[in-house]
Amino acid sequence: MQNQDPVLNEAAIRLGVSLRQTEDELTRNMLAGTASFINCVGGVNGDNPTEITRSDVDGVVRALKNNNAKTMIHMIEGEDKFGTAPVRDAYFALASTQLIGNLDNVSGFTHKSQYPSSTGLQYSEWGVIANLRFFLSSIGSVSPNASMLAANVYNIFCVGLEAYACIEQDGYSANFIYRPPAVAGGPLGLFATAGYKFAEVPRITNDLWVLNLRCTLA
Amino acid sequence: MALTTITQGRFTSNGTATTIQMESGIDWMKVYNYTVAAASQTTAVGVEYYWQRGFPSGYGWEYKKSNAANAANLSAIITTNGFTYVDTSVESARLGVLHTDVTAVSNATIPVVTETATNGLSAGNVVRLTNIAGAQQLSGMDFTVGYNTLTSNTFSLDYMAQIVAGTTGNWEVVNWQSMYYPRHRRITKITQATQAVVTLSVTHGYKVGQAIRFNVPAAFGMTQMDGLVGNIVAIDTTTTTGNTVTVDIDSSAFTAFTFPLTAAVPFSPALTIPVGMDTALALADSVDILSDATYNTAYTGMILGAGANGPAGQNNDVIYWVAGSSFSVNNL
Repeated sequence: MQNQDPVLNEAAIRLGVSLRQTEDELTRNMLAGTASFINCVGGVNGDNPTEITRSDVDGVVRALKNNNAKTMIHMIEGEDKFGTAPVRDAYFALASTQLIGNLDNVSGFTHKSQYPSSTGLQYSEWGVIANLRFFLSSIGSVSPNASMLAANVYNIFCVGLEAYACIEQDGYSANFIYRPPAVAGGPLGLFATAGYKFAEVPRITNDLWVLNLRCTLA
Repeated sequence: MALTTITQGRFTSNGTATTIQMESGIDWMKVYNYTVAAASQTTAVGVEYYWQRGFPSGYGWEYKKSNAANAANLSAIITTNGFTYVDTSVESARLGVLHTDVTAVSNATIPVVTETATNGLSAGNVVRLTNIAGAQQLSGMDFTVGYNTLTSNTFSLDYMAQIVAGTTGNWEVVNWQSMYYPRHRRITKITQATQAVVTLSVTHGYKVGQAIRFNVPAAFGMTQMDGLVGNIVAIDTTTTTGNTVTVDIDSSAFTAFTFPLTAAVPFSPALTIPVGMDTALALADSVDILSDATYNTAYTGMILGAGANGPAGQNNDVIYWVAGSSFSVNNL
C-alpha cells in the first residue's frame, strides 16, 4: 500500500521521524531531570555556570575515568594527511546546536573535518575535545533562564558505555498503525488514519557513568 | 466519530486554581458551576465558561447568572483567571513572568525576599531567583517559598540556610518540575550527626528506602560526603521547617557543611542523586519497593482560574466540566 500511495508514503516517513525524535526528547528530559550535573566554572563570562572551557572538559573526563566508565567509541589513529590529527577514544557529549562557536573556541577542539578518517562519522557530530566527542542537535537540552544571570543553561550530557538505556515496555518497541479508508473512513470510506505508539522508559543504569556538564554561552 | 474524543468530570472547588489533566489534547472545554446555577444570585457571577483552542492563555468566555431581570454583561470575555492550556513536557513553558523588583534578601534564619510589587504567590510555589546582588550563591536556584512568610510583597525561602543579606535581583515562578521522577535536588544544609539530616531547596518527593548519592563540591565544606550513597531512613515533610531526608550515613566527624558565599561563584551545587532502592528498608517501612522507578510525570491539561468569575469557582462550589477534541477544525 505504501508503495502505491505517495501521500501515505510521505506520512509514514514523517511519522517515523516524529517517533524517533520523541524518543530522543524523552531520553533528553530524563537525563536533564535525574542525572548528576556540574557547572562549567573555568570561563570568564561572569555567569554561573560559565561558558565551556578545556578545564571543564578535563574535569568531566577525569570524573568519568575515575568512575571506570568505558568510552563509547574507539580512537582514530593518525594518518599522513594534511591538517588532520589523531582522535582519542571518547565518551559521547550530547548537546545543543547553540553551542556551535563556543565549542570551536575551546582549547584543543578538533572539527570532524580534521579527523584522519571520515569512516563512520555521524551527521550530527561536530568535533572532539580531549576525550569528548560532541554530537549536536537542534533539540539538545536547554534549561531556560537557569543561570545566575538568568541566561539559558545548556546541558551537555557526557555519557559512557551503557550509562543509560531505553527499556521497552509491554513487549514491543514501537508500532506503526495504518487503517485504510475501508476500516477507518466511516460509512463512505472518506479517510484513512496512520499513527504510531510506543511504550518505553529511559533509565539511567549507572549514575556514575553519565554527567551533565552545564554551561552558558560566551 | 473516529478522531473525536470527549472527556468529562466533576470536582468541588477549594477556591484556588485547579489543574485538570487530560488523556490527550483537547480543542474545546466547557465548565459549569452547579452551585451558582442552583442558587439565586444578588449580583451576576459566572455560571458557565467556554474555551476553544486559539484563545489567548488565561482567557475564557464567561456566562453569568443573575436574578435581576435586566442584568447587564451576562456574556463576557474574561482576560485573566480563565483557561490556561498546559503541556508540562515543554521545557520552555515551565517559567512564569520574570519579576525584576527584588529589593532585599534578608539574613534571617529563614531568608525572606522583599520586592516592590504584589507577587501573587501561594505557599508552596517554587520560585527561581536570579542575579541577586550580594547573594549570588542563590542565583539560578529554585526554592519552595511562602510557608513561613508570605505577604503581598515578601516571601520566605523556606528551606534555605542562613545567608549574608542580598539586595536587588529577579525572581520568577517555576510552574512545574522536570519531567521525570525521581529528580535530583539541591542541598542547602547537612547536619553533622550519626544519621545525617539533609535539607533540600525544593520539596523533595523522596520516599523512605530510596538510595541517594551525594555530590558535595569542595566549596560546601563537607567533602567527606561527596560520592557517598545513603539510604533514606526517614523523611520530614513539615512544610515550615521540614523538607529533609535522614540517611544512614554517620557525618558526625565530617567537616561542617557550609553554603558558599556570594564571592564563591561560579561553583557547582551540592546535589542528591537518586540511584536506587533499599528494598528491605522499604518493606520494613511499608513503602512501595518501586518508589524509585523512573516515572514520566508530564501531562497535558487545563488550569482553571478560581473566583466568582473564574471557571474553578469559589470554595465549595461544585464544578462540572466537559472537554473534547474535534474531528475537523476549520479556522479561516
